[in-house]
Amino acid sequence: MPREKINLNIDVSTTVVQAREVKLPFLKCEAFVDVMQKGEDDSQELEPVRGWIEVEVRDSKGEVVQSGKHRMHSLLNNFLRVLDGEARATGGVALSTYGTITSATVTGLDGLSKTIAIEWYSSRYSGGGTTIATNAGDNDASYGIIVGSGTDPVDLNNYKLSSPIPHGTGAGQLDYDAMSVVDLGLDTSVSPPVYRIRLIRGFKNLSGGDVTINEVGLVVCNFWEDFDANGNPYINYDVKFLVARDVLPQSYVVPSGGSATVAITVEVVMG
Amino acid sequence: MKAEVIVELNGKEIYRGKSDSFVVNLAKALYIALYSSRAGANTWTTVTTPTGGSAYVYGLNGPAPGQYQYAGGVWLAMNAPDNDDSYGIWVGSGSAAVSPRDYNLASKIPHGTGAGQLDYEPHTITSSYSGTSSYVEIARSFVNKSGGDVIVREVGLLARNYWKYSGAVTNDAKFLIARDVLPNPILVPNLASLTVRYRISLSL
Repeated sequence: MPREKINLNIDVSTTVVQAREVKLPFLKCEAFVDVMQKGEDDSQELEPVRGWIEVEVRDSKGEVVQSGKHRMHSLLNNFLRVLDGEARATGGVALSTYGTITSATVTGLDGLSKTIAIEWYSSRYSGGGTTIATNAGDNDASYGIIVGSGTDPVDLNNYKLSSPIPHGTGAGQLDYDAMSVVDLGLDTSVSPPVYRIRLIRGFKNLSGGDVTINEVGLVVCNFWEDFDANGNPYINYDVKFLVARDVLPQSYVVPSGGSATVAITVEVVMG
Repeated sequence: MKAEVIVELNGKEIYRGKSDSFVVNLAKALYIALYSSRAGANTWTTVTTPTGGSAYVYGLNGPAPGQYQYAGGVWLAMNAPDNDDSYGIWVGSGSAAVSPRDYNLASKIPHGTGAGQLDYEPHTITSSYSGTSSYVEIARSFVNKSGGDVIVREVGLLARNYWKYSGAVTNDAKFLIARDVLPNPILVPNLASLTVRYRISLSL
């Protein structure tokens, strides 16, 4: 397929977007232009896995007072370290094998190096686990989508938000709702086709004052547990770690009594 | 995130290009992993195996009391050992265009030393991390011991979702997660070694 070299300078409503030089097959340039015309803040070429962050803020009456959609730029080294571990894992061990067969090292939310299990088998009775869970329940801000007020630039070694907004009803806090993870499936109406996975979380402001969101992160949970003969649980791994962090190009102010909904749409781009 | 396919013949790079051919199986496996919760119920989805059949992929499996010793597993293993052409990196001779729902290579070149076969070597995994640029690379070499030329036109990557306990294997799904058709066929002469690398990278 021939390569086209174009320069774009598009006036999108009130915002002038200056695109850099683009070196992409022509069809992909068309897709890129489409993105720009939507007024979104993208300026990167298409990637095989990409994401969008949408934020919608409502006031105490439920009226939308602020919304935006932004390109998700920043998967972190912790995410790559999971893939690193999976690439090293073999599976297919003997039925009598137990213990941690393959692990990976990530940086936990406390900044300390943590070992996570990639391939693991119980030494007791029953057991199992999950590698990168995000589906946190109501009031559980320990994993899933998290928000913060910080604006420190992203570094691939980031392991926490620069200023996380905790769950709660006190000053500077937001009430974290349950996560929702939705399989939107394959969309062949766009070129190239994309498969979308949508992660959504609501945040209620019960603090009595405004709360400002400047950054969004995604924390996953690596959890492996087994049980003894009496059914008592033993947690072998319970590590939460940040795999994505983005500083939003604008602040979102959640008014007292209002709420914010943050959605991360992961797109796996097909061919 | 970016993905590249790199191909070397006898240690010399002869192709490097963007891999933009992840398939639906990968997206479904990613979804079910993210959909899981800490200490929650089992989660699973279905993928299509290279035979065209359906198989389960678990994002979370097992942590409930019971008499199942040595239970556990792995979500997305890729490191197939030497001579194992059931998962990991594959090569093929087909040139059919990539489709999102691809579940097999168009024409897989099997492991072996017979005509039209290649000897599948073990994988090597390398990685590098910094604050601005990082990558993970999985590579596999294929040695031609067939006595004749072998032509490679496509490459693929297959993962394995494996769960067991002391009494049985409860899940062992091997499924295609990426397929790329090379822009030009590569002729692998007898006794030559072809190396295929999938590189996943992050940068700011």
